[in-house]
Amino acid sequence: MGAEGIATRRRPLLLTGAGGRLSVCGCWLLTGVLAAGCATAPPPAGAPRARGSFPGDGLLTQRAVLTARGRQFALNGYLALSTAGGKRLIVTQSLGQVLADVLVKPDGSVQVVRASRMLRPEWIRRYLAADLECIFGNAPGTEGPLRMLSPTHFLIERRWYTLDLQIVETKPGPQASELFDATSKATP
Amino acid sequence: MSSLSSVYLELTQERHLKLFADPLRSEGVMLIERPEQIRWEMTAPYQSILLANHKSVAQFERTDGEWKKLRLGFPQLLKRVMEQMVRMHQGKLDALTSDYTISVATGAVAVVTLVPKDDTVRSMLSSLEVRMLPDFTATREVVMNEPGGDLTRILFRRERRGVKFPPGTFDQTKPLDIAAIKAAVDDGR
Repeated sequence: MGAEGIATRRRPLLLTGAGGRLSVCGCWLLTGVLAAGCATAPPPAGAPRARGSFPGDGLLTQRAVLTARGRQFALNGYLALSTAGGKRLIVTQSLGQVLADVLVKPDGSVQVVRASRMLRPEWIRRYLAADLECIFGNAPGTEGPLRMLSPTHFLIERRWYTLDLQIVETKPGPQASELFDATSKATP
Repeated sequence: MSSLSSVYLELTQERHLKLFADPLRSEGVMLIERPEQIRWEMTAPYQSILLANHKSVAQFERTDGEWKKLRLGFPQLLKRVMEQMVRMHQGKLDALTSDYTISVATGAVAVVTLVPKDDTVRSMLSSLEVRMLPDFTATREVVMNEPGGDLTRILFRRERRGVKFPPGTFDQTKPLDIAAIKAAVDDGR
């Protein structure tokens, strides 16, 4: 989805009704802003890169603030890393509800394990996974508009949104192989 | 229980995802002052403060050693959630009947189960279980069950009732640091 696609979806954000409707708006917002992809803006000049800053195998807990059209949303992320298995990211709201669950294999293939009303499968596949590669990927040319503010603090600045992400806890060590097999029992 | 003027609780939030063998834990505090002031703060592994009263809600995130107030996306929704948290903890179940079907089981632990009436809400939250002392005088645990089997468990401990919170505890512009609040609560024992 390019900028045109986002622009056509902006109107629903203006809705401000009861809780249910707000949730629907939230859905749109989160997905719409993620829809910019990873290569829509050049990286700021001189910005250091995050590459090589993480354990090959481990579990990272993240806290992020997503800013879009002047509004901010706090999210939690749980990222399992495996040199052999790939990356498994679960994104939740502050109080727990899972918004997205995605597996990125070492070959770069993306498998959406769980989606939600707020994050639809196609958006997770195309954009959330791309953001994941922006910060944690190894393939050249996927950095996008990423700035590393500290070894545990990252900023993705795009035309439509900003993602301010902190790694708040790192537990190095091998992760269960089932995490990287989306067909296993561990997968909902 | 609803006659309490204020309460201070420390809590552990456990996120149980079928995907992970161990729960994902975070620590925090919940402070409530009548009539409807609430402060929900996570202290580890990240720092975040949610403040709400009958008029407004505010959220702060700690970044690089500084508190930053968020420009909230859906303040009405967040305020409603916070209001419900206060009512649940104060045992004001009658105020929740418009949103939930409520049942109660008594025994060694009293369990109040709330099932959302709204289909959309229920697709994300199948039920809420509030586990209380047998005489309903205090909440010990809240479990938020999701349709897929994942759940979030909030365990309360170190409850202090009738505490006098220092000025700034519920300030939505510059909230008092939690360390100062804890010190004041401890001094008032």
